[in-house]
Amino acid sequence: MTRRDTTPALGTHGEPGDWRRSAPGAHVALQRARWQDAAWSYLFKDDTRYAATAPADMDVVAQVNRRMRGGDLGPVHGPVLNAPVWTWQVPLYFWCGGVATGSWFVSAACDLAGDHRSAAIARKVALAAVAPSPALLIADLGRPARFLNMLRIFKPRSPMNLGTWSLVAFSGLATAAVGADVLGRSRAARAIGGANVVIGGYVGSYAGVLLAATAVPLWARSRLFLGPIFVCTAAATGAAATRLTLVAAGLPIGHPTRSALGGIEAGAMAGELLLSSINERRLGRAGLSLEHGAAGRIFRAATWGMRGGLVLHLMRGRLGPRAHHAASVCYLAAGLALRYAWVHAGRESARDDEAVARVARAAVTVDDRVSGGRRQQRLVASTRAPRAARRLRRGPAELVRRASLLAERALGQSHSVVGRSGTGGSGATPRASAGS
Amino acid sequence: MTTRAAPTEIAIHKPAERMGFFTDTTVCIGCKACEVACKQWNDLPADGARFGKGGSYDHTGALGASTWRHVRFVEIDGGHLPDIPAVGRGRTDLGGSGSGDLDLVAVAAQRANRGGADAAIDVAAAVAAMDDWLFMSDVCKHCTNAGCLDACPTGALIRTEFETVVLQADVCNGCGYCVPACPFGVVARDPADGRAAKCTLCYDRLQDGLEPACAKSCPTDSIQFGLYDELVEIAARRVGELHARGIADAYLYGAADEPADELAGGLGAFFLLTEPPERYGLPAQAESPIQENVIPATAAAYGAALLAAAGAAAAFLGAGRRPLPRGRGARARRRAIRGWSR
Repeated sequence: MTRRDTTPALGTHGEPGDWRRSAPGAHVALQRARWQDAAWSYLFKDDTRYAATAPADMDVVAQVNRRMRGGDLGPVHGPVLNAPVWTWQVPLYFWCGGVATGSWFVSAACDLAGDHRSAAIARKVALAAVAPSPALLIADLGRPARFLNMLRIFKPRSPMNLGTWSLVAFSGLATAAVGADVLGRSRAARAIGGANVVIGGYVGSYAGVLLAATAVPLWARSRLFLGPIFVCTAAATGAAATRLTLVAAGLPIGHPTRSALGGIEAGAMAGELLLSSINERRLGRAGLSLEHGAAGRIFRAATWGMRGGLVLHLMRGRLGPRAHHAASVCYLAAGLALRYAWVHAGRESARDDEAVARVARAAVTVDDRVSGGRRQQRLVASTRAPRAARRLRRGPAELVRRASLLAERALGQSHSVVGRSGTGGSGATPRASAGS
Repeated sequence: MTTRAAPTEIAIHKPAERMGFFTDTTVCIGCKACEVACKQWNDLPADGARFGKGGSYDHTGALGASTWRHVRFVEIDGGHLPDIPAVGRGRTDLGGSGSGDLDLVAVAAQRANRGGADAAIDVAAAVAAMDDWLFMSDVCKHCTNAGCLDACPTGALIRTEFETVVLQADVCNGCGYCVPACPFGVVARDPADGRAAKCTLCYDRLQDGLEPACAKSCPTDSIQFGLYDELVEIAARRVGELHARGIADAYLYGAADEPADELAGGLGAFFLLTEPPERYGLPAQAESPIQENVIPATAAAYGAALLAAAGAAAAFLGAGRRPLPRGRGARARRRAIRGWSR
């Protein structure tokens, strides 16, 4: 399958079509004005009883539409969704971005507390973590050579686009700040570092938004929790990486930075465990993919990694600093495993046709009860309020869409596609255009 | 009644009206001429010769990067696939001649009369007892609120002057975000090609005033193409006719809904169905996942990030306020701590 010849019948591979008409404005053979060639059908004529001749009562039609799409869920003939195609690079990239963000937060906090030496080291950790991110992001693309197409427009409504822009800005500013550190301009480095916290906040959290803004039931149902979960692990892994680096650089025991980092790690991971357990409880049928199979095993491993880290952290007084270092390693590993588990479970969830159908039905019938297993008693809360409330809620969504469109328009980018003939490429080759 | 894409979203500014598909499953005969026509016109590869995908007599299985039209074969009663030679696990005593031909009436008669070998075969009753079989030619829905279009980070997916959603193959970099962003499982990434692909509603043909290839080839006019408003009007009258004939479950999927019930703001390619949508692998309710989730998700995520930053600052300020270690043995440690910042 992957060794297929994808050369198009006409034109150049991956390039827009470059055909020309025989004469300006020439018509194609058999073409009739206003798509009249589509109206050949005997069905439209009066001698069949294809359709009622009287105008239809649209209220009746709307009613039957509503009736057939409401009610109880019957058998599901999948597949309903296409599963995400992301490969192993994506969760690793999420992890790298998370470590970078966490370290950057830590560096800003160090600066605030007056420990500029630790802050400079934390910035270097963040830069080292963010450095492989572009490579991972590019390697995951189907057409890596076209990575820069991500930056041909600014499209705030697409988390992927906004995330790529924020990654570019973050790594640029991080490089500048580390450069300023190296050149001894520590005040400039601090200023840049403070500004970069604003962007870093998005770099570390948008992975959750990216996953939540899909039709995958598991991710979409976790939309309020995914971002905070990713932020918590980002803070914990970033603090852990910084702590280990600082200890290696000789940060003495008892230094406020050292104890603050320990507190951040443990607090963030405890927060993650809390958020995760709340989220699992409200997922219902959509959460099965996070419990079973390979994704479930990885997820449990991640949870136990966090718990183990917390236990080691609590026992650091008795076990000594090495136990604390082991806890930091636990957090780093658990953060990585958690990202793999979420991405992998989403793939399974998209293939779970029953869950997809149930989540979709929740919009029509609020009383969607989960059937089977130990989850039998749990009521799946509706993600969407019915009817009137839904319309109200569309307001802000429409606002963002319009704002995004305005931004795209103001920057003049949405016009850049105009003038391309057809859809170009091998997808749709205009074989019949230009009458011969 | 009919809905429109936001005018600001339309990327190609030429005078045009909304065009769409109306797929009437009650007259579909499952011939798959639309699939073949689509593949021929759009230069798409075959799906392989494995028979029996999707639980029925189907080569294709599902919509995908190289299958932009897919005729779903839906077996109503769980799908009793008779063991026929064509499926490849054949029993030849069922009326099949062994060459792959199959006398479906004989199969049904045999199933109906199982047990009584001597009984006269009531063919009409046997045919009536056969399982119901639904056909539905599935396609990209060209949503008014298109999730793929909202998700696309490169701007490869655009809204055309016909208010259809088209993927520009020369812009797409294969990030794959449109794939999970489609609530109907339409867009997919081609593993050989690396880019995402989906139905263009034959944009190139439309520009030249021609009907899309699948609609052109449909022998029963199950796939109808035309001005969107006209199609909705015909479809509603068709529903009225079917209701008058006693098929009370005939309804439209994706058109003529009340505003609060609309599927993704109204589907540019809508369907006339007679069973609940899940039978055909369609969600009962759908919306652009981006428009639905981005705002609450971003608010929660970015809010949490700001909280985390504030928490980190608080942890440092709190730790800095704690006194340094005291006592005789701690003197060296105090010196080390003071020495770090210098």
